[in-house]
Amino acid sequence: MSDYKTTVGIEVHAELKTKTKIFSNSINGYGTTANSNVNVIDLGYPGTLPTLNEEVVNQAIKAALVLNCEINKNMHFDRKNYFYPDNPKNYQITQARTPIGVNGYVEIDLGDRKKKIRIHDIHIEEDTCKSIHHNNHSLLDFNRAGVPLVEIVTEADMNSSEEAVLYLEKLRELLLYADISDCKIEEGSMRCDCNVSISKTEKLGTKTEVKNIGSISNVGVAIEKEVARQKELLEKGETFHEETRRFDDKTNQTILMRVKETGNDYRYFPEPDIPFVRLTDEMIERVKKTIPMLAEERRTNYLNRGISLLNANKIIQNRNLSDYLNKFLDTDINLVIASNLLLGDIQFYLNKHNTTIDKTKLTDDKFIDIVKKLDEGKINNKVFKDIIDDIMEKDTTVDEIISEKGIKIISDPNAILEVIRDILAKNEASVKDYKAGNTRASKFLMGQIMKETKGSLSPEIVNKLLIEELDK
Amino acid sequence: MTKYLDLSIQQINELLKKKEIKPIDLVNECFERIENSDSNSFITLNKEEAIKRAHELENKEVDNLLFGLPIAVKDNIVTKNLRTTCASKILENFIPIYDAEVVRKINEKNMIIIGKTNMDEFAMGSTSQTSYFGVPLNPWNKTRVPGGSSGGSASCVSNRLAFLSLGSDTGGSIRQPSSYCGIVGMKPTYGRVSRYGLIAFASSLDQIGPMTRNVYENALLLNAISGHDDKDLTSSYREVEDYTRMIGEDVKGMKIAIPNYLVSDIVSSEVKNKLMEIVELLREAGVTVDFIDIEYLDKAVTLYQIIAMGEASSNLARFDGIRYGYSVENPQSADELYMKTRQEGFGKEVKRRIMVGSYLLSGENAKIYYDKALRIRDDMRKAFKDAFKKYDLIIGPVSTTVAYSLGEGLDDPLKTFMDDVLVIPVNMAGFPGMSVPMGFNKEHMPIGLHIIGDDFEEALMYKLAAFIEKKLNLNLDPRGGK
Repeated sequence: MSDYKTTVGIEVHAELKTKTKIFSNSINGYGTTANSNVNVIDLGYPGTLPTLNEEVVNQAIKAALVLNCEINKNMHFDRKNYFYPDNPKNYQITQARTPIGVNGYVEIDLGDRKKKIRIHDIHIEEDTCKSIHHNNHSLLDFNRAGVPLVEIVTEADMNSSEEAVLYLEKLRELLLYADISDCKIEEGSMRCDCNVSISKTEKLGTKTEVKNIGSISNVGVAIEKEVARQKELLEKGETFHEETRRFDDKTNQTILMRVKETGNDYRYFPEPDIPFVRLTDEMIERVKKTIPMLAEERRTNYLNRGISLLNANKIIQNRNLSDYLNKFLDTDINLVIASNLLLGDIQFYLNKHNTTIDKTKLTDDKFIDIVKKLDEGKINNKVFKDIIDDIMEKDTTVDEIISEKGIKIISDPNAILEVIRDILAKNEASVKDYKAGNTRASKFLMGQIMKETKGSLSPEIVNKLLIEELDK
Repeated sequence: MTKYLDLSIQQINELLKKKEIKPIDLVNECFERIENSDSNSFITLNKEEAIKRAHELENKEVDNLLFGLPIAVKDNIVTKNLRTTCASKILENFIPIYDAEVVRKINEKNMIIIGKTNMDEFAMGSTSQTSYFGVPLNPWNKTRVPGGSSGGSASCVSNRLAFLSLGSDTGGSIRQPSSYCGIVGMKPTYGRVSRYGLIAFASSLDQIGPMTRNVYENALLLNAISGHDDKDLTSSYREVEDYTRMIGEDVKGMKIAIPNYLVSDIVSSEVKNKLMEIVELLREAGVTVDFIDIEYLDKAVTLYQIIAMGEASSNLARFDGIRYGYSVENPQSADELYMKTRQEGFGKEVKRRIMVGSYLLSGENAKIYYDKALRIRDDMRKAFKDAFKKYDLIIGPVSTTVAYSLGEGLDDPLKTFMDDVLVIPVNMAGFPGMSVPMGFNKEHMPIGLHIIGDDFEEALMYKLAAFIEKKLNLNLDPRGGK
């Protein structure tokens, strides 16, 4: 049995982060009381007309830029006509003929090589309202009606579930870091539809579309299940129609929603209520300048400063920590220590207290001070663990906190030597053992020193000085 | 019986200023006349609210010429808390929760809305006979149609039931009924008046405009309703001028063109003859009148049908029984809700246009028909633009005939379109067009002169119209009993 080649194309709908909706001045907000962010325009009330939110256009330009698209400088909107209860006007305003961006790509890292997933187009459209089915009734929440979306359509360039997952992770990272969308799949602000087909020849097989997938990792599962299902059918010699399926995360199966009718007819035509929008080079330049440092550049910067790839990726997964760390990119503090602190004790503290770094009393100066003290061995990790609560909660300086806690910081090498000599004098037997070649004796001496100083000294420095002293 | 409605707006204004009359006197007279009239001009009267409003205005300063004047509003313009039906069963009980921008503007001028006028259902028709609420009558002959789709707005002003009215014009719906009823009607430049709150028929063609007894009052009302509106992206940023400012100026030296197509065999001889009298009159006054060819005029009706019906099929999709309007009871499914609601709620002509429009946009047809129509539409606009390089204005007849008999043309959808053949090109190209009475036929039915201007040349059009109005000095009161 020769192998089938898997082909996947993905459509992602991402809700744009804006203050107001795309065609009205209702608030664009998630999680508010049903039908509270609604006006006559969102309801598709007779006589209403759309206005165009400039913020939406700017966000979409930004998205087109980070996806390396060519920008359609003379774009318009189109009406997509279809009847559905969640579609207030029974047409959706979208872009069919002049999508804001075309011919872009997203580069994914396959480990041994990089691959460009081509973006066919990215277009702007309005979200529908949300239907809630309750006791044999359908309820409609118009809060979502008119929320701005971009739809990002790839070419059928992915050949495995892994590639699809890598693409989506990368796309999410791009949209998140450019502040375009908050990309919360669970809240529906990022939605993925996958077109999957398999074939033994160059000619693509019959595709099915899988919708309603609740997480990026489930996209991988859904594609694998769909490939297996199609393979089984084809091996049995059966054919199947183009159809829309949904992914059920309880059974991990794709389930038939509807067979696609031939020639789905949306009767597209140019939206007459919105004139052509002309995007100038100046507008595009202006938007370009608002793009913050993206994940890829952050990763490179972190690696250059000695942070491991693992830790760099961990930091990047947490936008707040990454933004925080970036504040110190221009300083010469040890970013390895800084990143370890952020991923370790600081993140632990933040999780435990369910807060974010900007809400704590950890000022930039305090952070720099701590990293330096650790770097220079003036304090060690144990001391930091002892004082982190105060660091995060008090306005006082690191030095003040340390002295309040009664922690004696011995940073003068001579003072440390004094302690060492004192301990050596008290433990002559161990010193003899060491000199006799029992190197383990130094560990015992080390423990005694740390005990004496309540662990406030940097073990590395103490160890270095101790060995020097013993070897004299 | 008082006769304020027979006085000019300037005379009324003087009386109001001198406190010799109050707005309530005007309102009372209007309702008295409406209630004694069988013209069926109105679908909904706003009596209680209008009386209340008139009393409120008593304590206000008479700050403009339109102050306190009763006005009628076409029933496809939404009015907060006042039923707006589009003359359709599907909106029979529809009470809007907001005001159209033009309504806000007329309220700002302290005018008083006395009611919503009858029309063709969703403005689809040229006779007002497709109204769910029965046809309004032509005041000049009650066996004749008032024209359409703004038939009620035309008939109530003609019949002196209201001082002024607002209509809407997608393919002649202000100008043709104005011509049939012997009043002055202006379809302004596309974008001059906000469409916000006008229930859309064909968005790229629709425009609200004033319908009045004479030219000066028309210009005054246009002053009041024009201007940029942030809520309508197709609304123009061009500053509003005083459209009365050229009225009374000498027309000598003006250059006017008549497209040959507008005086071809499609026009009845009585209408054509009347136009030729106007040509004589203008030439005597020192106006140059040339007959010219404008390309694509003969294609306008076909193009119009494609664009107007295509857009209408989409615009009317929102009437689905879910959020407002008529809704069939106990549907078994969403599809059944849609189908039965629309089947029962829309009239025959509206359904016909939705079906044709859906077909025209369907699949490859959108490219074959709609896209092509848009292209030829641009070409037609250019052809007009070329003419405006040499001529100040273009004139012709508004309609091929005078108002015809009730019932005529109902079974022949193409006939009514062909009647609009002279007015449709103006909507297609976005230019302003107006109808001003130029006389009567043998049966004493009014005939309208069509004046077409370049973009935003409404003031110039009023200048010519006012000259003709003054020169002819017609008795345009249908109760005059000539």
